[in-house]
Amino acid sequence: MALRIANLLGPRLLNEPLVALTVSRSHDQFVRHRHTKHWNPKWKTLRRQKVMRVKLPNFQEKPEDLSEEEIRSRLKEQGILPPRPWNEKPFFLSCTGGIFEAYVPPEGDGKISPIQVQGAKQKLQYLEKKSRTMMAIRKIKSFEEEFDTATFCKEAEDIYVKMHDLMAKRDLENMTDYVTERAYPEVIHNIENKTIHWKLIKNIELPRVVHARCTDVITKENIFGQTTVRFHTQQMLAVYDRFGRLMHGSEIIAKDVLEYVVFERHLANLYGKWRVHGKIIPDWLPPKEPSLITYLKPAEETSTTETAVTKTSPDTEQEIPKESNT
Amino acid sequence: MTLFRSRPLLKLVLQYQPAALLPAATKIHTSALLQAWKPEDHEPQKFLEYNKKIYPPQSPDEAPRPAFVCHQRSNIKYSPWKMWYIACLVRGMTVDEAIKQLKFVLMKGAKDVRETIEEARDLAVKEHNVEFASNLWVAESFVGKGHVVKGIRRHGRARFGRVEYFHCHYFVRLEEGKPPKHYYQHHPKEPHQQLEDWLQQMRKRKITNSI
Repeated sequence: MALRIANLLGPRLLNEPLVALTVSRSHDQFVRHRHTKHWNPKWKTLRRQKVMRVKLPNFQEKPEDLSEEEIRSRLKEQGILPPRPWNEKPFFLSCTGGIFEAYVPPEGDGKISPIQVQGAKQKLQYLEKKSRTMMAIRKIKSFEEEFDTATFCKEAEDIYVKMHDLMAKRDLENMTDYVTERAYPEVIHNIENKTIHWKLIKNIELPRVVHARCTDVITKENIFGQTTVRFHTQQMLAVYDRFGRLMHGSEIIAKDVLEYVVFERHLANLYGKWRVHGKIIPDWLPPKEPSLITYLKPAEETSTTETAVTKTSPDTEQEIPKESNT
Repeated sequence: MTLFRSRPLLKLVLQYQPAALLPAATKIHTSALLQAWKPEDHEPQKFLEYNKKIYPPQSPDEAPRPAFVCHQRSNIKYSPWKMWYIACLVRGMTVDEAIKQLKFVLMKGAKDVRETIEEARDLAVKEHNVEFASNLWVAESFVGKGHVVKGIRRHGRARFGRVEYFHCHYFVRLEEGKPPKHYYQHHPKEPHQQLEDWLQQMRKRKITNSI
C-alpha cells in the first residue's frame, strides 16, 4: 500500500520539497465548522418547540446601575408593588458638617523662633486681641462653667493622643468618643488595610487655643462650639501596608509637626464631649514626604479642556476679519 | 424549621463577638430580612476574605513579602467544566501574557476571565500598594459551580429530559513578582538533577545481609 502511494507520488516527490507531505493544522481555526445545525431544516420549528424556553436572570447587572424607570417597568412586569419602607428612624445631629469660619494660620508660623522679635510679637498676640474668639469662649463658658483655655489645651492634647492610639489599634468601637461623625470616615479611610505605629515624643511648644466659634443648627438654642488648637509636636510615624512593608515614615526618625486641629462639642447637649472634628492644613506648610513607591499621575482632564477652548477662540477671531476683507 | 431559620442568625452572631452587648447585636431581629434583601448572599464570600487579612510589619532585614490580591466574578453564564480549561491555561502566567493569550482564545468564558484579571490588576494597584501593574502573575486561577437553572425538553416517544443551564464562578489570585519557572510540582527535571537522582538511587542499593 505504501509502495503504491510512493509510486503515484514518486515523480512529484522528486520535484517538490517534502514539507507539504505532513498535514499542517495551523489554519484549522480559520475554517471552522459548526456542529449545532441540523442537516434538514424542514422540522426546525417542531424541534424548537421540544425545548421549554427558560428566561435566565442576568447576574452581572447590579440594582445600582438600573435607572428608576427600568426598575419600575420590571416591577410592573412581575406585578409587584414597589417596596415601601415603613420604618421611620429618628436621627440625631451630633456634629456639624464642616468647620465654621475656619482659622487662617499666619504664614511663617512655627518657623520663626520665639527669641527673635517677630516670634516674640506672635507670642504676645494672645487671644485677648481676637474679639470674636473671646465672645465664643464666653458663650462656651455659659454652658461649661469650668471651661478654661489652659486646662482645655491639656484635655485637647489627651484627646488628640487617644485618637491616634485608637487609630493605631484600629479600634473603631471607641473611636466615636474621640472623633466626630464628620471626621470619622476620613480617619477610617486612612487606617484601611494598613498598620500604623505612632508615638507623640514631646511638645516643642505647648498646645494653644488659637480660634473659637459657636454656631447654632436649625434652632437658635442648639449650639455647637468649635475650637482650633495649635499643636507643635515631635512625632514618630511609620505606616506599613497590608503585607507589612513600610509605606510611609520611619520607626527611628522623628518629625516636627505643626498642626491646627479643630475640636467640636455639642454645647446644648448635657452629655456632649469635645471631639476631633477636622484639621486645617494651610498652603504654606512644607510638602509631604514623597511616597516610597512610584505611581501613575492621574490624567488632568480639566486643564486640557481649558487649553482647547482658549486655542479655538483666537483662531475664530482671526478668521472673521479675513473673510470680511475678501 | 428552627434550625433552618437560625443559620443566618448564627452567622451574624458569630461574626461579632462578644455577642450580646455590642450595638451591632441590636440587628439580630432584622437579620433574616436583611439576608433576604442582600444580593451578596448568592455570591461566594470566603475567597475575598483573604483580601482583608493584614500581615504584621516586617523588619528591614527580612525579604519583602510579595503583595497579592484575590478577585472573583460570580455567576458567569458558562459551564464550569468548559471554564476549567481557560482557568488552567492562565495559571502561572504574567498578567500581561495572560490577557494577551485570552484575547485569542475562541471560547465564551475567555472574555469574562480576561475582564476579571484586568479588574484584579487595577484593584492591586489602587488598594493593595502594588507599584507596577505588569509585575503581577497569576498565582491561583480556578472555577466553582454557580447557579443552575433547570428546564425540560421533550424527546422522541414522549420521553422527557432535563436541561440544565449552568453558571460558574471564576476566582483569581494575582501575586506580585516574577512567576516561577514551573507552576506545578511534578514538572520534568533538569538533566543534571535527573543524573543526581539516578546516582542517589544507585548508591542507596544494598545487598541484604552483607557487611
